[in-house]
This record gives sequence, structure tokens and C-alpha cells, in this order.
Amino acid sequence: MFERFTKHARAVVLGAVGHAERLDAEAVEEQHMLLALLDREASRASFALTSLGLGGRRESVGRALAEARRRGGLSRADTDALSGLGIDVSAIVSRVEEAHGEGALAAVQGKGKARGGGKDGGKDGGLGRDRERGRGWWSAFVGGRRPFSPGAKQLLTDSLRIALAQQDRHVGDEHLLLALAARPGVPAEVLADHGVTYASLRRVLYGGGEAKAG
Amino acid sequence: MTEATDLAARAGDRDPRIGLRAVTALRRLLEQLEAVQVRSARKQGWSWQEIAAELGVSRQAVHKKYGRQ
Repeated sequence: MFERFTKHARAVVLGAVGHAERLDAEAVEEQHMLLALLDREASRASFALTSLGLGGRRESVGRALAEARRRGGLSRADTDALSGLGIDVSAIVSRVEEAHGEGALAAVQGKGKARGGGKDGGKDGGLGRDRERGRGWWSAFVGGRRPFSPGAKQLLTDSLRIALAQQDRHVGDEHLLLALAARPGVPAEVLADHGVTYASLRRVLYGGGEAKAG
Repeated sequence: MTEATDLAARAGDRDPRIGLRAVTALRRLLEQLEAVQVRSARKQGWSWQEIAAELGVSRQAVHKKYGRQ
């Protein structure tokens, strides 16, 4: 399936693995895809991001993602919903950081979550275990160094679906970006805060007046 | 009115979407907090058995979830 991915799209997936490793995350997540998308130059995605004014504000996106990691990966919509229950996430974060050091909640992110939870506690290896740990057709390409989180896997599938719906023969990094903007979560929220939404991306990529595809 | 207080007001209106999101977020926060505490307990020399007893789960469950860290 990766043969359908363009050079830039492959670079994003590989770059995401690199970001996950750099941040010591146990799995490759959507946020790492976003960081890798921001690294691209002279691609369809970077053209779209620059058109929407994100060109010079990449560091700001990185900071916003770091802030979300510090909150244990909760989006602002999550923290707002919790504040509706009377739970002050920022107070919890500061208490935890007081006791366990700065970034304590960020440090555990992705751990314990991305696990397959399979029954094979003992022996290592075997295809079944790899599949449980979130590896799939892309692992041959990226080298299987890090499993992909369920969300990141879904993102790859979504990008293919978006490309097909657009009748594009290849999956480019712009399709990954569109898929990211369409998925609820921290990356889409951070993008929206910087003026980048699914609708605005479609506008700059495919021209105005187009209806939002499902 | 800020977005947060607006949402809080809507939570009072029993909007299921907000309520369900809050539950999901809470579960996520709980997982993170549990991981922080388990790691801290291990650093202080607690056994898996002791941690499991406090959490009210089996030793195997805790070890399976956090043992690789």
C-alpha cells in the first residue's frame, strides 16, 4: 500500500517515527505526524500551510503540542468538558508536577495505552504479537521501530480514503494533513487555533466553494 | 463569557455530548495519573503486590500494564 504514498507522504510517516523517538513516546501518534508535516518544504501540504499563514508559526504549533502533552495529552475541549464537572486540569497538572517533577504527566503519555493487551505474556516475536502492538503494512517501510497508535493508523487509512474520494492516484502529504484536520483531537485543535481547518485546507488545495466531503 | 464557562453551563443543560466527552477525558486523565503513581511507587521500592493491593487489582494486572517500564 505504501507504493501509493508520494515521496513527501513517506517522508512525513518516517519523520513522525523520528519525532516519536525524539520525544521518547512509546508509539507514533497523530501529534508526531503533525510535527513531521511541519518539517516538509516544497510539498503540497507545506504550500497549503503557508497559504493559510502557518509558514512562520511552526514553533507556535510545536509549543501548543508540547503544552497538550504536559496536560497528559488532553485537548482543550477535554479540559473544558472536565471543568464542566468541576475538575480543574491545570490545578491537577501543577500538583502532579510539584510532587513528581515538571512534565510528569507528559512523561507517561503513550505508555500503557498503545499496548495491544494481548494474552501472550511470555514469548516474544511472532506476527500476532506484532499486530497486537500496532504494527501493520507500514512497519516494513518504517522499519517497525515504533508501533503506531490506533489513532495514527486510522489517520493513514483516512488519508487514503480522502485521496480516493478526490480521485487522486497517490496519497500525498496534503491528504495526511487533511485527514489530521478532520479528526477530532489535539492536532486538529492546535491547527484550528492557527487558522488551519479541514474546510480552509480544502479551499486552498482544491479551490473554493467545494462542499465538505464526508 | 469564556468558552470554558460556556461549556460548563451547557454541561448543566445535560448535553450528552459534553457529558460523554467529560467522562472520556476523565478516564484518560485517570490513566495518566495511575501511570505517574505506579512509576513513583516503583521508584520508592514498592513491590507489584503492594501496588496492586492499593489499586484493588491483581498483581498480574499491574505488572502486565506497567511491567515493561
